Amino acid sequence: MMTKRGGVIVQNHPSSPCVLICSATGGSGSDDTLVIGLAADSGCGKSTFMRRLTSVFGGGAGPPKGGNPDSNTLISDTTTVICLDDYHALDRTGRKEKGVTALDPRANDFDLMYEQVKALKEGKAVEKPIYNHITGHLDPPELIVPPKILVIEGLHPMFDPRVRDLLDFSIYLDISNDVKFAWKIQRDMAERGHSLESIKASIEARKPDFDAYIDPQKQYADAVIEVLLTQLIPDDNEGKVLRVKLIMKEGVKYFKPVYLFDEGSTISWVPCGRKLTCSYPGINFFYSPDTYFGHEVSVLEMDGQFDRLNELIYVESHLSNLSTKFYGEITQQMLKHSDFPGSNNGTGLFQTIIGLKIRDLLEQIVATKTGAPLEAAKA
Amino acid sequence: MASSSITPLNLSSSFSSRPILSPSTITSLGAATRRQEKRPRAATVKAMGGGGGGGAKYKGTKMREARLREIIEEKVAEAKEACEGEAAASAECRVAWDEVEEASQAKAHLRLKLEVLRQDPLESFCGDNPETDECHVFDGDEE
Repeated sequence: MMTKRGGVIVQNHPSSPCVLICSATGGSGSDDTLVIGLAADSGCGKSTFMRRLTSVFGGGAGPPKGGNPDSNTLISDTTTVICLDDYHALDRTGRKEKGVTALDPRANDFDLMYEQVKALKEGKAVEKPIYNHITGHLDPPELIVPPKILVIEGLHPMFDPRVRDLLDFSIYLDISNDVKFAWKIQRDMAERGHSLESIKASIEARKPDFDAYIDPQKQYADAVIEVLLTQLIPDDNEGKVLRVKLIMKEGVKYFKPVYLFDEGSTISWVPCGRKLTCSYPGINFFYSPDTYFGHEVSVLEMDGQFDRLNELIYVESHLSNLSTKFYGEITQQMLKHSDFPGSNNGTGLFQTIIGLKIRDLLEQIVATKTGAPLEAAKA
Repeated sequence: MASSSITPLNLSSSFSSRPILSPSTITSLGAATRRQEKRPRAATVKAMGGGGGGGAKYKGTKMREARLREIIEEKVAEAKEACEGEAAASAECRVAWDEVEEASQAKAHLRLKLEVLRQDPLESFCGDNPETDECHVFDGDEE
C-alpha cells in the first residue's frame, strides 16, 4: 500500500520487509498521522479494545511480520498500536535495583517517548525499543513506519505534557477497585501460585503508585470509560454484570458526544418493557450533563447486559450522534467480536462507539484540510 | 445517525447488505459471558495437566506460557517474603507485587490471544523459520 504524504511516496505495507523511509515533509500537512492515547492499567495488548478500534477501519490487526515475536506492537492496514512499556528506561532488573515499580515515571523515558511519537506524527519512521515482558529485558529496536492512525497505549500516555499535546484524542479506561479485584480474580485464580490473598495484596501494593501517577491522567482524557459494579443486583460483587459510564468531554474539536433522546437533558431510560423483553437483570440507561474535574461533560451510562441481538439493535436505534454510517453499524461491530469479553455490556458498546468517534474525527480533520482524498483502502 | 423517534423493530428486517446478520448470528450475546465463566475452570484443568493452555500451536509459545507460569509462582513467593512484617510498606514489597502483576498480565494476554483471538504469536516468525526448534508443532497430546 502506497500513500502519498506531502508529495513523497511512502511504502508502508505492514508485511513488506523493504520500507522506504519518508523524508521529513513537515508537520502541518493534511497527511499528519492521527495520534490516539489510551490509558489503562491492564498492560499492553488490550487486544479486545484495540481490535474493536482497528476493526472499525477494516482489516485485522496482528503483530509485525518477520520481526521479534515478543513485540508488543499491533499493526493493521490503517492503524499501528504501540505499547508504552517499550519506553521503559529501566528493565525489570533496573526497577528492582532502584526500588521503583513500572507505574513510577522514573521507570520510563518520556523524552524518547515524546521524540518518537512526534516523529511518527510528522511522517518519519522510528526505531523503537521493545520491552520484552517475558524476559523483562529491553530487546533490540523495531522499525515503526508512520501509519494513518497511531495509538499509544499503556500506563502513561497522558503523563508528560509534551506527549499530551501530540494527542488528537485520548481515552482513559477507569476500572473501579471492586471491578479490578473481581476481574483479577477471574484472570488469576487459575494460575498456580495465586490465591485470593496474593491477588488482593498485589492490588493493594500497587495502589499508592497507581493513585499518584496513573489515576490523575483521567482529568486530561477526552473520553473516560468508567467501569463499576452493577446496581441492578443487590450485593453483587462478581463483576459479571457491569455498570459502565462513558464520560465525554464537551467542546472537543471534531468530537460530538453521544446522547440519548434530548441532548443536554437528563434522561433515565429502561428499554425493557412492553416492546422489548429482556432477561434478568435487564438494562438501565442514564444520560446527563455533568462536570468532571472542572470540565463540562456528557455522561452516558449503561447498567446491565445485552442478552439478545434485538436488545442491542433496539438500544442502538435510540442513541443519537453515534457517528455510524448506516443503521445497525454498532450492532454489526459488536457481533463481529461477540467472542470478546464485554461484548454483551457497556464496555464493548462504548469501546465500539469510541472507535466510530475516532473514525469520524479522522474524516473531519481530512475534510477540513486541503481536501486531499482519503487514500487508504477501507474494507 | 439513529433517529430519536421510537420505531417498532422487526428482528427479521436486515439493515445492511452484509451477510453477517444471517440467522446463525442471531445467537445469544451471552456467549462471551459463558465463555468467560468456563475459562478459569478449563485453565485449571489444563494447568494441572502440565502442558500449555488451549491454543498454543508452537513449541516456542508453549515454552513462553510455561515460563510465565513459573515466573508468577516465583514472584508471588518472593513478594510474600519481601512484604513480611515491617517491610510491608517498603519499596521492595511494592516492586515485588508489581512484578507479579507484570507476569500475570503477560500470561493473561497470551491466553487471550490463543483462546479468543486464536492467534499464535509465533505464527509469522515460524512461517519464515519453520525448521527452528521453537517452531516445532505439537499434535494431539504430545508434550
